[in-house]
Amino acid sequence: MSVLTKQTSGAAATLAAPGGKPSRARGKRTNQRSGYLFLLPWFIGMLFTIIPFFASLYLAFTDYNLFTEPNFVGLANFQAMFEDPRLLQSLKVTFIYTFVSVPISLAVALVIALVLNRGLQGLAIYRSVYYLPSLLGGSVAIVMLWRYIFGNDGIVNGFLGLLGIQGPAWVTDPEFALSTLIVLNVWTFGSPMVIFLAGLRQVPTMYYEAASIDGASRWRQFRSITLPLISPIIFFNLIMQLIGSFQTFTQGYVMSGGTGGPADSTLFYNLYLYQKGFTEFEMGYASAMAWLLLMIIAIFTAINFIASKFWVFYDN
Amino acid sequence: MMKTVSTPISRRLVLGAAVTAAGLALSGCGGGSTPAAGGGGNVELNFVYWGDSNRAKMTDAAIKIFEEKNPGITVKSEYQDSGPYADKLATRFAGGNPPDVLNMANRTLLEYAQRGTLADLKSFPEIDLKNIPATIQSRGEVDGKLYGLATGVNLIGMVVNKTITDQVGVTIPDDKTWSWEDYAKFATEITQKTGGKIYGAGYDVATETGPILLARQRGEDFYTKDNKLGVSEETMRDWFQYSVDLRAAGGYPPAGFFEQIGGSPAQSYLAKGTVASQIIPINNYKGYNEAAGGNVVLLRMPGETTEKRRGYSADPSMLWSIAAKSKHPKEAAKLLNFLINDADGAAETLTQRGVPINPEVTEAIMPKLGEDDTKFVQMVADIQKDDLAPAYVYPKGASVVADTLKQLATEVEFGRVTPADAAKTFLEKSNAAINK
Repeated sequence: MSVLTKQTSGAAATLAAPGGKPSRARGKRTNQRSGYLFLLPWFIGMLFTIIPFFASLYLAFTDYNLFTEPNFVGLANFQAMFEDPRLLQSLKVTFIYTFVSVPISLAVALVIALVLNRGLQGLAIYRSVYYLPSLLGGSVAIVMLWRYIFGNDGIVNGFLGLLGIQGPAWVTDPEFALSTLIVLNVWTFGSPMVIFLAGLRQVPTMYYEAASIDGASRWRQFRSITLPLISPIIFFNLIMQLIGSFQTFTQGYVMSGGTGGPADSTLFYNLYLYQKGFTEFEMGYASAMAWLLLMIIAIFTAINFIASKFWVFYDN
Repeated sequence: MMKTVSTPISRRLVLGAAVTAAGLALSGCGGGSTPAAGGGGNVELNFVYWGDSNRAKMTDAAIKIFEEKNPGITVKSEYQDSGPYADKLATRFAGGNPPDVLNMANRTLLEYAQRGTLADLKSFPEIDLKNIPATIQSRGEVDGKLYGLATGVNLIGMVVNKTITDQVGVTIPDDKTWSWEDYAKFATEITQKTGGKIYGAGYDVATETGPILLARQRGEDFYTKDNKLGVSEETMRDWFQYSVDLRAAGGYPPAGFFEQIGGSPAQSYLAKGTVASQIIPINNYKGYNEAAGGNVVLLRMPGETTEKRRGYSADPSMLWSIAAKSKHPKEAAKLLNFLINDADGAAETLTQRGVPINPEVTEAIMPKLGEDDTKFVQMVADIQKDDLAPAYVYPKGASVVADTLKQLATEVEFGRVTPADAAKTFLEKSNAAINK
């Protein structure tokens, strides 16, 4: 673990040189500076988005149809949201999608990373192959491809037919349409996998050696050594996947042709937001929706951070 | 590197927004120079419409003729699929950069008109309305002002693949007298006789033109004169129930059979040969006939003589409008006048957007039409001779009504909701959207 190594080196430095403290402080300053330097592009990007950001906050309290001037309506948008059945449906769709696909995706990523961590030959090739889907996953072309794969004449039903099973109408049946997108999300497990792999490689092998000398089983080793030591990485991946999942748009839009799928079964929150803003010309309502999503994501992130105190092991 | 869809997309959005902003700024100071009197100023009109590349080819040929007849005016055309077209149009109007002459859909005419974004076509002397029938004009009139002129007259009709019916020995009923029950029997027979390989009926339950016709046959106006919803719950229930019964009898394919494919005739299920009949806008008759093997017959809709009254009305397939804030209104009016009144231009576009609304123009192009196009023009002319009920501008919220219908049709298809409940929900939601 990088935390582990940093601490040992820090301790060693203090022991080695009498002037250890200043050199450690200077190292810390350089680290901070390079951190800010890496953040600089994001800051510059922020300059472009900061005005629309606050504009949407203002618009959330107005009634704005794009053609005429916005007029202030106070909390009317937020009140309307509670009685809007399609909004509740979109929340339901987004929540189901997130809370089903993120755990599965992370679990698959971790398992594959563990397998790859054994040090197979051709590790780099396997890693790239598994990583590739996550690069393409959100793209329009792949989602369209997915629609054909799960279509009536597609590979999935063809394969099920070989096994003698009559596959459902994945894409047009409201019961199943969302599951195709969940599968798509799980298929793009590559990026959390790569991060897990990097984290696994940082676990010092001496722990495993010591444990196996003491007679610990593989499973026990996994539970007591691996999991705690990579728990910060699990935490990181969990937060990033959650935040990303809540904001899904492309997959829902392309799979359903912009409509939200058979009977609103793939009506993601952001897709409904887009419909409200650009098809029904209710920009004020759409802005209010955007801020509600921000609050939802903030709440779940906060919950995660608080919960992390109980299961994330930082080794100091 | 992360599959955090948020970060890469937002950066791309930012770049895209910056580029769009730059582009708009540039186009703003670009070709908008108004010609001074006696100056050699060239006026460039921006003309947008929806369609496919075939339509674009024909339209470009017509535009060339317009440019020849009007030196000093050049036309820059753009076209897209109807879905993206609607989005882009809204953004352009909102951004203050509207096109000069544009296609307008029935569903959104009222919204755009009431927001003051469209010009009153009656105020332009360049647009000659004397040959345009009043019933056509009324489809674009709001509060006495004319905001859109039909690009052409169109109807829906039933197309049947005669190759299939001949093969299995099913006679096609007389389309001037057949009822909805006759159609159901006919479709079921075809499925039975082909052993379930080909379904007799393949029409789309979710398109509003079907219920609009049925409502009118029952004596109701789907969209009324005072911009409200006039269809009854009973009619909507019957519309849904009909498809459920037909599916149970076998005439209509099972749930999930129809996937969202392209809208062109070549991609249709009729062309694939898996259904024997479909409801289409009949200006596409030629396309469907060619795609399905050349032996497709064009029929009137069922129930025209067996229900309370005629369900047909002469509908504009789409409309032409001029933006209120157009920088060149006079030239835009000239272009619009050309599109509806000029026989030479019409000779290029023929019946792509329906039968020309100027009867003189229709007569002029008749000799140029192929056999299929002549059939559909003839059907339109014949039907228009009868005493048809008037039809009105679609109200605001019509697009929400269309979406609601689509959603409920899916729910009915998969048996998640009964036709009676679907009808009830449809009326609730549609009325809410229209009366908002």
